[in-house]
Amino acid sequence: MNNNLDLLIPEILVGSLAFIILGLDLFLKPKFKEYIAYIASAGLILIFIFSIIPIWNTKANIYGDILILDGYAVFFKSIFLILGAILILSSKSYVSNYFSYIAEYYSIVIFSILAMMFMVSSAEILTAYISLELLSFSLYVLVAFNRFSNRANEASIKYILLGAFSSAILLYGVSQIYGHLGTTNLTQIQKELSVNSEMSLGLIIGFSMFIAGFLFKIGIVPFHMWVPDVYEGSSTPVTAYLAVLVKVAVIALFIRVLVVGLIPIAQDWQLILIGFSIVSMVLGNVVALIQSNIKRLLAYSSIGHAGYILLGLAAIGTLDQKGLIIVDFSRLIVNGIILHLISYSLASIAIFLCVDIIFGNSDDEQIDIMRGLNARSPLMSLLITASLISLGGLPIFVGFTSKFYLFNAIGTQISLWYVGIAIITSLISLYYYLHVIRKIYIDNNEDQIAISLPILTKSILVFLLFALVFLGIYPNILMEFIYHASESLL
Amino acid sequence: MIDLIHIQILSAIMFCIGVYGVMTRRSAILILMCIELMLNAVNINFIGFAAFRDFSESQRIFGHVIVVFIITIAAVELALAIAIILRLYKNKSSVNIDEVDLMKW
Repeated sequence: MNNNLDLLIPEILVGSLAFIILGLDLFLKPKFKEYIAYIASAGLILIFIFSIIPIWNTKANIYGDILILDGYAVFFKSIFLILGAILILSSKSYVSNYFSYIAEYYSIVIFSILAMMFMVSSAEILTAYISLELLSFSLYVLVAFNRFSNRANEASIKYILLGAFSSAILLYGVSQIYGHLGTTNLTQIQKELSVNSEMSLGLIIGFSMFIAGFLFKIGIVPFHMWVPDVYEGSSTPVTAYLAVLVKVAVIALFIRVLVVGLIPIAQDWQLILIGFSIVSMVLGNVVALIQSNIKRLLAYSSIGHAGYILLGLAAIGTLDQKGLIIVDFSRLIVNGIILHLISYSLASIAIFLCVDIIFGNSDDEQIDIMRGLNARSPLMSLLITASLISLGGLPIFVGFTSKFYLFNAIGTQISLWYVGIAIITSLISLYYYLHVIRKIYIDNNEDQIAISLPILTKSILVFLLFALVFLGIYPNILMEFIYHASESLL
Repeated sequence: MIDLIHIQILSAIMFCIGVYGVMTRRSAILILMCIELMLNAVNINFIGFAAFRDFSESQRIFGHVIVVFIITIAAVELALAIAIILRLYKNKSSVNIDEVDLMKW
């Protein structure tokens, strides 16, 4: 057995970065502590440049078959490192203003990035489960980080009880899979399933519980109860983190599990996933119509977006006559899903950063408070408008390109009616996005105190605006990397 | 003679008791105990499969290893949850989750 430890260098470095930051906290004087954010994000970027790029084209199994390193894993690792660095920088002012334990916050964030990096490269269910739990534990701590806020406390207790409940259900599913197939390796599962397609009752129960556990972590409708409460209750940078990186990581793992492991029984799960995705598109977008709290509104809209992505996942399960996956079309869909994840992440980072600046650590983020924002900060109003329109899917922003690509790819595989429902619900979503934009530009506010932005925040905002527009006009620069990822998966 | 099916029925019953407890209990601590019950049902399931199925040596050891991991993870989860429940107790002087109702809909 060949233990290529040098292929694990990115993970080792990220783990050590987290410990270094914890250690630095002991020696730094309090007034220097806010600079830890720069160390953390610079460390992540340097790790990306010096250890991810050299292994870009590698394809290898590490530790037997426990971890796998392919283009797909490397692509998502770089996404986590880059978006993680941006998120850390954008949370800097909030964290140093309102949190009393600065270094701990950043080190827990980096530990969760480590967990995500293991998640996307795990080729085996037990490894995936353990890294998922490392991620969840970091998130429980982050959600509970603001100890003195009643809302954060409530959000964290709901999150940890429901999260532990769902991981127990997921584990029961894993135990049934282990017992009936004798393995938890995804490739082996695929082989076993394609040999005998007759499924016993225990295996059916096992797979349903396994998929239900994943759907809970993504926040699909019958299992979505925690999403609005946790998003509203936790501090805004943590909400951004939950909405962006965590969703990307779990969906990336779920794609690998479905495409590599469960593809021989695709006919059994395809219709179920379509049903779940339609329910969550409709319910997420309709319930968002009546929300008056901006974070809660974005939470429901994120449930809707998870629904679009789940529809794409279901469409991968269309098989040809011989029961094999249709590689070309499935590749298109995976590309669409990844592009949509990235566009959703960029827009969400932008809007949560603005929410964070406008509301600070106030206890109620009413949309009404954003009235007349244009007079207070034109740059932020422009960015909120751009990201909301991008989430709604209008040109020229990247949201249009990604939705077009994703729906187009889904339409080649499954019935156009489902795509029609997706388009109608995204029209509904435009109503509440435009409602926020109307408040910003048309309504007036009595107190017109201009918001002054620090230079760091300003540059992040301008960068995000540039990325939203540029990727919308010219997505090819990103598509090359996405092709690289999806080719190695399928 | 005890067979695999008996172990499976035991674990299924334990799991269902745990789910029932999570649904009906009002105290956060009791909910946590019911979740632990569910995790232990999973452990019994793994051990039962490892012992009674005609697995190869490495497959059997794998089942045992998973159990050790699950016990560790359950302990960590318990520690975190107890810390958060203690915060709840300090804020509200009660651990009744019916009173956790600041955010709805």
